[in-house]
Order: sequence, then C-alpha cells, then structure tokens
Amino acid sequence: MLNVDVNKLAELINKNVPGANATVSVPEDIKKCDSSVTVEASKIYSVVEFLKTNKEMPFNSLQVISGVDWVEWMEVCYMMAHFDLQNPREFILKVKLTDRVNPSVDSIVHHYAAANFQEREVYDMFGIRFNNHPDHRRILCPDDWQGYPLRKDYVAQKDYNGMAVYPDSKMNFEDREFIVRQDMIKKAQEAKAQ
Amino acid sequence: MQSRWDIGEPEKPTINKDTEQLKSELLTLNMGPQHPATHGVLRIEIWTDSEVVAHAIPHLGYLHRCMEKHAENLDYRGVIPFVDRLDYLAAMNMEWTYVAAVEKMLGTEVPRRGELIRIMTAELQRIASHLMAFGTYALDLGAFTPFLYAFEEREKILRLFEEVSGARLLYNYIWIGGVWNDWTDEQLARVSAFCDTMEEEAKKYNELVSMNKIFVQRTANVGIFSLQDCFDYGATGPVLRGSGMKWDLRKNAPYSLYSEFDFDVPVGEAELGQVGDCWNRYYVRMKEVIQSIRIIRQVLEKLEPGSVMGKVPKVIKLPKGEVYMRHECPRGELGIHLVSEGDSKQPYRLKVKSPCFTHTSMLPRIAPGQMIADFVASVGSIDIVLGEVDR
Repeated sequence: MLNVDVNKLAELINKNVPGANATVSVPEDIKKCDSSVTVEASKIYSVVEFLKTNKEMPFNSLQVISGVDWVEWMEVCYMMAHFDLQNPREFILKVKLTDRVNPSVDSIVHHYAAANFQEREVYDMFGIRFNNHPDHRRILCPDDWQGYPLRKDYVAQKDYNGMAVYPDSKMNFEDREFIVRQDMIKKAQEAKAQ
Repeated sequence: MQSRWDIGEPEKPTINKDTEQLKSELLTLNMGPQHPATHGVLRIEIWTDSEVVAHAIPHLGYLHRCMEKHAENLDYRGVIPFVDRLDYLAAMNMEWTYVAAVEKMLGTEVPRRGELIRIMTAELQRIASHLMAFGTYALDLGAFTPFLYAFEEREKILRLFEEVSGARLLYNYIWIGGVWNDWTDEQLARVSAFCDTMEEEAKKYNELVSMNKIFVQRTANVGIFSLQDCFDYGATGPVLRGSGMKWDLRKNAPYSLYSEFDFDVPVGEAELGQVGDCWNRYYVRMKEVIQSIRIIRQVLEKLEPGSVMGKVPKVIKLPKGEVYMRHECPRGELGIHLVSEGDSKQPYRLKVKSPCFTHTSMLPRIAPGQMIADFVASVGSIDIVLGEVDR
C-alpha cells in the first residue's frame, strides 16, 4: 500500500457511489500488513468507474486481480495503482462473495483492459463468473478441465481424456513415507510427554 | 439423326454472385507452441489476410504448474525454490520479491551487508537477463552472432552466482533474513572487473546491433504502444519506460536501500523510430545495463565487513493479514500477494502478479494490421518468459 489514506478513500467512495457501503479493514499491526477497502459486490462496476475517473484520487491502472477462498466466502482482490511520478498510489480493493456454488461479479474490462486476462485467470482458478466479460474462457488450465484448482476443497480429477492424472508410478512415495514417519514421531513424543 | 457432336445450344454462363467472388476468408495460422520466436511454449493463433495479421489470440498454459497451489502446502522457506522457477532467467529478483513480502510481515531486520549484497546480485541478474533479451531478440530477427557475444558475458555472471550459491540458474540464494553465503574479496574484485569489461562490451553491442541498419529497419516504428495503452493494460518495466514514462519503482517508491543510490531511469527517447516502438523498448534495456553497472560500482564502494544473515525464528509463523509487495524485476514489476491466516506455517494464499502475463495480454492490441514478420519482432520486444506467464 502506497500513499493512500484508506479511510478518506472509503469516505469518498461512499459519498459518490450510493450503496457501495465501503468499509475499511485495518490489520492489527499496520507496519507489517496492508489495509484494504471492501465494497458491495453488486456495485463494483460503478466503484471502479468512480476510482478511474474521479479528480481527487484517480487510479489509472489495474495491476492484478487475485482471488482468495476463505471457505465460508470468496474474496476478489483488485490491486489498483496510479502511475504518477509525483504521487504514486496503490491499494487493495475487495469484494466478498458469499455464494460458493455459483459466485459471480460484474466484469470491469470496460474500464481496464488489463482485467480481461486477470478475470479469466480468477475464473479458471476459483470458478468465479464475471458478468459481461467479452471472452469468458479458462486461460491456464485446458478448456475441458474439471473443477477449480485453487479452491480449498479441490480434488483433482482421476482421468483426463483417457490420461491418468497423478498416476501411482509417478508419485513420490518417499515424501509420503516421510510425512507418515513424522506423524509417528510426533505421536510418540506426545505419548512420552504424557 | 442427331450428331453426337451436337450438344445443343451452349449454355450461357451465369454468374452466381454468391459463389463467384474471390475467397476472402481469413487464414488461421498457429504460431507455436514449438516456435523459436515465442521464447518457450506460447501458442498464438493468428488470423491472417495474406501476410497481414488481422487478429491474434494468445493461448497460455502449456507450462502451467500451479505453483500457487503448491505454495499453499509448503512452509514459508520451502516456497523460495518454487518462486525461482517463475522467471528462470531472473531467479534472484523473483526470490527477493517473495522474501521481501515475508520479511515485511515478519518484521525482520536484514543486516546492511546482506541488503547490499542483495542489491548487487539483483543488479547482476538484471544485466544477465537483459543480455539474454538482447541476444535472443537479435536471434529472432535473424542475427546469430550477438547471441554468442551476449552469452560470453552472461557466462561470467553465472560463474559468480554458481560459486556463491551452488547453482547456475535457480539459486535459492536469497533467504528470509538475508542471503545464504557471503561473497569473498576475490569474487568482489571479479565483479568489479566484470563491470569494466561490460561497459566496453555494451558500447560494442550498440555499434553491432542497436544502430545496425537492418535491425533498425525491422524494429523502429513497429509495434507501438501508446502510454494510454500501457496504463490501460497495466504494463510495467521496460515496456512502460519504452513508451516514455519515467517510472521505476527503485526510484519512485524506493524499497530496500535503493534510495541511497545514484542512478538514472532510462526512458524511450526516440533516438531512432518513435516512442513506444520495438526499438525503443529494446534500447531502454541496453541503457538499463549501464545504470545497473553504476549501481553495482556504488555497492562495491559501500560494502563493509559484517553479517549477511539476520535473526529469524526457526519456525516462521506470520501474523494474520495480507501484504502486496512489488519489486522492479528485469521484465517489469513482480507483485506478490501473500495472505496469512495467522498461526500457520504455510501461506494461506500466494498470488503472483507476473509482468509477462500482463504484457502477453497486450499482444492482441498491437497485432491487427501488422505483417507476420513484424509481429515476431513485437513478441520478442516485450521479452516474455513463459515460466512466469503460466506459473
């Protein structure tokens, strides 16, 4: 986070975008972690439009869109940046999606062309749909891949077009044995302590 | 009796306006996945109208290893070798960005010597990466010799890295809290000698390639990104600077000890061609090599004996929260979004913002209207590494 007063920014958003309901989340240790602004998922299109076009605190570039799966809810983080030699800015904008089965949020490709590939990646990895996206396909995984890999409950498919995924012959059994051994040592130590 | 030659009145030719016109469909061509000009396994589907590209669609994912998922199952130290494998030509910069994100959340102090050595290795790596970009770009455009010149100098850097880290390409050298090994005085003397020869070599490269008539004709005024495009697509690094924006994180939002150093930020100044074209992007890299040499020389002056590793807890556990850290890497700004759930040995989420991914998304923007050969020059000029695009 760079040169952004999140409280002021949240106020600005609330004043100019009705219903955005911007809230600031500040970490316990402000030196170590970044704070962020969370807005209503349904208002993201107008919030981003406001951030891009306002005079007071504009952001001319979208760096990256990142998703986080918190199991109870999904989060989409937009890293906004302003490239300016005197006044560089950067902050994290978030939306919360409570629907895990069919999560969807409005696309912002209209405002930032960078969002095209970034939103496709979030869809590929988390299964979050972006409404009105011009080219809504998977990007890194094959088009016919099942499941969304970065979800916490993801289980890889066994078979892909007749090919075995994670065949036993290619698994590293030493790793597995190592973990089992570590568990045994831990249990033995606990028993000893008791 | 009807003669067998008599076939009646000849049929009048009728022109069916729907079918008789010239075929005007676009031809679909696949550039890659195994194509020498794509620097790895990138497939670009090109729709061509004879020699002219009408539309280009990049297809990514051939090198996808889902490194972000792997990171969720490793402890914080264990992620470093995986981060190496993102941009394998600039592994030191990748490591440093990730490590800096962890250090910020941990609140670790890095000793001054460790921090200076990090700057030196990062700048050496930047030179090595730009040399690779220079060599392969000339190779794309049909000149083989510069590649060999570039590798001769790059080899010296790799030798030094091999001595201090044990590996030539994927180092695992920058650790949380400092660096693994100290450099000896003899190695530092060799760095100093390398700076002298590299400065001379850079002049030679400029005479040999940058100002070469054929090279200039292939690259100048080709594949122009306007500044507005760069902001719109989120371009960073040499692509943004080639388009005339004097933006460098090391200067505009200094991290580590960069604020102590005296160096310039090279931008595309249209010595040849126009701002934002392939030649200017390329030439920004050549100018950056000189600036990196300046920084390394200052590091060598500032280095004083001391420890290179700070105090780090044996088991690293980060507080609950998140951090977005970005560093200036040879290909642009690498961003690490690290999320910790608190009281856990593993990252909850690690997202890598890859500059090459962003720049690949810009290819459809410049492709329409270009000749295929010019498109090859454009792909080479953004200097993509597919390990970083696909992660």
